[in-house]
Amino acid sequence: MDQSMIRNFCIIAHIDHGKSTLADRLIELTGAMSKDDIIEQVLDSMELERERGITIKAKAIRLDYHAKDGKNYRLNLIDTPGHVDFSYEVSRTIAACEGALLVIDVTQGIQAQTLANVYLAMEHNLEIIPVLNKIDLAAAEPEHVLEEIKSVLGYKPDTVLSISAKTGQGVPLVLEEIVKRIPPPNGNVNLPLRALIFDSHYDSYKGVIAYLRVTDGQISKGNKLRLMGQGTEIEALEVGYFSPYPHPVELLTAGEVGYIATGLKYVGECRVGDTITSIANGAAEPLIGYHPAKPMVFAGIYPADANDYQELREAIERLSLNDASLSYELESSPILGNGFRCGFLGLLHLDIVCERLEREFYLSLVVTAPGVSFIVTKTNGQQLTVINPTDLPPTTETAKLEEPWVSISIITPSKFIGPLMELITEYSGVYKRTEYLGHSKTLSELGQRVQLEYDMPLRSMLTTFYDQLKSRSQGYASLDYNLIGYREAKLVKIDVLVNQIVVDAFSRIVSPDKAHDVGKAMVHKLKESIPRQLFNVPIQAAVGGRIVARADIPAKRKDVLAKCYGGDITRKRKLLEKQKEGKKKMKHIGHIEVPKEAFLSVLKLN
Amino acid sequence: MLNQDLPEQNIALYIHFPFCRRKCNYCSFVSYTSRDTDIIAYLGVLKKEIVLRATDKHINTIYFGGGTPSLLSNEQVEDILSTIGSLNIINKAAEITMEANPGTVDTSYLTAIRKSGINRLSLGIQSLNDSELTLLGRIHTAAESREVVLLARNAGFTNLNIDLIYGIPQQTVSQWRAILAEAIELNPEHISLYPLTLDGNEPLYHKIERGELPALNPDISAEQYELAEDLLANHGYQHYEISNWAKEGYECKHNLVYWQNLPYLGIGVAAHSYLDNHRLANTSDLDQYLSKFYSNVKWVIDWEEEIDSKLQLAESVILGLRLSQGVSLNEIHGRFGIDLLSQYSSQVDHLAGLGLLEQTKSHMRLTRRGRLLGNEVFHQFLPA
Repeated sequence: MDQSMIRNFCIIAHIDHGKSTLADRLIELTGAMSKDDIIEQVLDSMELERERGITIKAKAIRLDYHAKDGKNYRLNLIDTPGHVDFSYEVSRTIAACEGALLVIDVTQGIQAQTLANVYLAMEHNLEIIPVLNKIDLAAAEPEHVLEEIKSVLGYKPDTVLSISAKTGQGVPLVLEEIVKRIPPPNGNVNLPLRALIFDSHYDSYKGVIAYLRVTDGQISKGNKLRLMGQGTEIEALEVGYFSPYPHPVELLTAGEVGYIATGLKYVGECRVGDTITSIANGAAEPLIGYHPAKPMVFAGIYPADANDYQELREAIERLSLNDASLSYELESSPILGNGFRCGFLGLLHLDIVCERLEREFYLSLVVTAPGVSFIVTKTNGQQLTVINPTDLPPTTETAKLEEPWVSISIITPSKFIGPLMELITEYSGVYKRTEYLGHSKTLSELGQRVQLEYDMPLRSMLTTFYDQLKSRSQGYASLDYNLIGYREAKLVKIDVLVNQIVVDAFSRIVSPDKAHDVGKAMVHKLKESIPRQLFNVPIQAAVGGRIVARADIPAKRKDVLAKCYGGDITRKRKLLEKQKEGKKKMKHIGHIEVPKEAFLSVLKLN
Repeated sequence: MLNQDLPEQNIALYIHFPFCRRKCNYCSFVSYTSRDTDIIAYLGVLKKEIVLRATDKHINTIYFGGGTPSLLSNEQVEDILSTIGSLNIINKAAEITMEANPGTVDTSYLTAIRKSGINRLSLGIQSLNDSELTLLGRIHTAAESREVVLLARNAGFTNLNIDLIYGIPQQTVSQWRAILAEAIELNPEHISLYPLTLDGNEPLYHKIERGELPALNPDISAEQYELAEDLLANHGYQHYEISNWAKEGYECKHNLVYWQNLPYLGIGVAAHSYLDNHRLANTSDLDQYLSKFYSNVKWVIDWEEEIDSKLQLAESVILGLRLSQGVSLNEIHGRFGIDLLSQYSSQVDHLAGLGLLEQTKSHMRLTRRGRLLGNEVFHQFLPA
């Protein structure tokens, strides 16, 4: 197809600002599907995504649009993941487009992640069409938000569209503006093939399906292809596009968006961000640097019932077929049995994986407190990456310890600046700058909206930071973060000893000034939750060889059934049987019987 | 010390009387208040059940438990005993116990039932402290508790038990010491001490839940128990079972049947039986018991469970360990053909290592510490 008739665009929006609803309307208006066929937000196909109101896997839909100028255009709508954990995928989606609809909920204003994604789109020279959504709502404050858009992003109010994706009001104009404002692709069909993979998923019949944007050259069925970053060689078993169901075609040419079936078994071999070219006469340079997102957050995942280990293993293997960012390695704990230390892009990614394991594979899980990966330089010069606190070498052998840092951006009404700054400092944040969005200071009693920028250790974000952020800002603040690399850290490992035995699963890495408090909290939690034993049990928290907290569980003195209820021996026996059953379920640390709940209470302690 | 005359030919008889003036605040037994009008009908059914279920086995002990059996008139007690007597199965030296509560009896009543054949009284004194009695919801005062012992002596009873409760919220060790000292002065032949236990439905339980009373404290109870062991031993009481002390020769024969895992027949609402290696329980619903008994005996059996030999062994060990002398290794060998110590060697070693269990030449028994931690020992002997 003539590239001048193609428009490739994505939608940038905060969670719940109406991206999926707008996509549904566009699909409906262009006749790709009738209203009845659109059950609900076609782009979000997983049940989980729908419930959480976020889109996890990007997809692309081809829309044929007959514009007012009498010409037929081909619009490719590429969906973007809406959460900060998937920022790498978002950046690749943006790189596959020439334009973006920036959808802003007129009752909420610009949010931190939206802003981050807009800046990303600007870096890639995308034409951005700002769209105010939900103008049908009574709480709409268009003037305020228009002012914000102008001051923060520089768009004049007359370039901003106003719509209600829900009622359809204003949506036809969006289609016209896409055609008018977003430039057509300008690749060269005669150059060697270059196509950007912006998403991939595993299909049990066709193997990995790669979603791609052809920039130069063309792809047809049967082509022998090579992934320039990963080096994987494949054959295009099928070529096609979605509208929204797959339609196989002979050819995808420069400027077009579609998919190829690769026959690969694992999405890890065909990852987002890589450039596809031909094996014969291939391109020299990839479209964009390939540096796939690496897991940054790690947690142990165990089956609640140790007998379910095999099921868990199969389930994680299945999920990882479709999730190249999920890493896993065998981990075993004397208490929790066999499980996996899994790596995730962030906390949301962790939540989604756990929920899918429980929901789609009917597993009941124990998830340990999430942590980050550390880089340790030992005194002998050896460098290691440590993802499990247990593996941290003793301080005497450690020359340098580094941990990942992020830069965070928070947008909040000015009323909450004080409490939020206090919060960020508590979580070891380092101040960078403050910027006021817009100039109107009196529109809301919450005050003007402000963007705060800090650097902080990723580790600090893994506990209650986000919940605190929301609660201290009454839900108004929004957060975006970006990994900025490793920085040297002054940290210590706390071990917990139950009756003099170190329990690996409880080891934690914390800053030295928190060691006492954290140790104390863990020791007291254990004292509360471990039942009294037949002997005194000391519980200690130690840093190196130094005990920082201690509590003793006194020996149990009395446990005996006293009375015989009118010869009711059975009742006595049943009580004893129950006691015996309860003991069977106990985990053991040395001779100590510990209910699993005690472990969980400490593992989950923040 | 134990009466062992051909146990398989003897049977213990338990008779449950489920009526009370008021329910105590700690009670989880089956008992009914304001159903006194049903007493006559209940006795009719009771007698019928005795006649129907008695066999040719001889009765060595009879125990009237409740509820409050002392709410029965002396004629009613006489009536029941003569019904059993007419079956010609009561051994001459049979121990016939009745539970009696202070405040429900006087000398003439006690004299009459003594004459009818009751030869042992178990007095539900529970405390000798008025504020504790109020807390427990007892209908009597400490003065009435003291008085009932005198009344029983005057009526000719020479075998008395008194029940006391310890581990009551707010009861200190020294308060308990005073109660014990006074109980010893009353000089009963037998003393039963029970820690207050709450299952979750009693008024006291709810009071604790609401924070109106401190929670039960097992450490204080343990101290009170050990104090009792020491004090009672000093006054000639032998600690023959976890909760029971007696002067020599006054061990409760009826309760020994339970601890020796021997057969017993339970008559009345919610009564339990152990017959031919089956444990069975009568319905605990008074109306069901009253209305259905005439038509079908089986109907009032709430449940029945066969005790196989594995379970018999476990129960024999668990029950036998409650006795101070412990489980007789010979007896277990004779009854089950096994060597207890080798069959349970790992459990025995483990428990002995913890200082809970010890062995004498002929017996395996709980240590002093083990008596307070009996459950930790008992469950180890249950079938896997």
